[in-house]
Amino acid sequence: MILIHCPYCDEKRPEIEFANAGQAHIARPLDPSGQTDAEWEAYLFIRANPRGRHHERWRHVHGCGRFFNAVRDTVTDKFEATYKAGEPRR
Amino acid sequence: MSDALIRHEPVSETPCVAHGVRISLAPPMQRYTLRARYAQDLERVFKVKIPSKIGASEGGIMCLGPDEWYLRRQAGATIPTSEGLPVAVADVSERSICLVIEGPRAAEILMSGCPLDLDQFAVGRATRTIYETVEIILIREAEDRFHVEVWRSFAAWLWMAMTTAARH
Repeated sequence: MILIHCPYCDEKRPEIEFANAGQAHIARPLDPSGQTDAEWEAYLFIRANPRGRHHERWRHVHGCGRFFNAVRDTVTDKFEATYKAGEPRR
Repeated sequence: MSDALIRHEPVSETPCVAHGVRISLAPPMQRYTLRARYAQDLERVFKVKIPSKIGASEGGIMCLGPDEWYLRRQAGATIPTSEGLPVAVADVSERSICLVIEGPRAAEILMSGCPLDLDQFAVGRATRTIYETVEIILIREAEDRFHVEVWRSFAAWLWMAMTTAARH
């Protein structure tokens, strides 16, 4: 089982306690009604699907309950870094 | 808290005693979930030191998350009012039951379904985690005694899984 470092608990915890929550660093547009259909579609549905380094949101759902961000390699499944939500992209 | 006369427990009230381990139901308790942005606000309510490190426990108050604590008191206890302070204190006494796992094989039985490394889980620590597929709060009361807080609806299954592990 993979061990994932939770930045809130500050320790490595078993993967089974965590849930993936999709791509990270997607900000909701400040003025949704000012968006074109294409822009809104991109915000809602269009996601990166890289082969390699990927920024993701994870949630320590069976632990402290917090969302955080992680950099994971989609090929090797190795976690390069995890950091608290709100911290700058790594 | 419901009347003891009509209390119906989801697991057997007769302890399961197997080689090196004893699994029993703890007596009814008062349970509270405490939420606050700052631990100091809870300290003003309870007038005790509130642990701020996740996983730590002090005086029956366990820190489960950065803004979440869990408090257990014996049945019938009362807690001070938190009126006017930016905290949320909710009584969740009947949400869960507590199983006591004790004996030299206690950690081994828990590790049959819990992925935590209990060798690194010191006495006094408490955390939310998972046993197989059931979410639990695990508390290490002593080297060979654990408390497992589990939601009532999951308790019958957890009892079956743990007593099966204990008898193996």
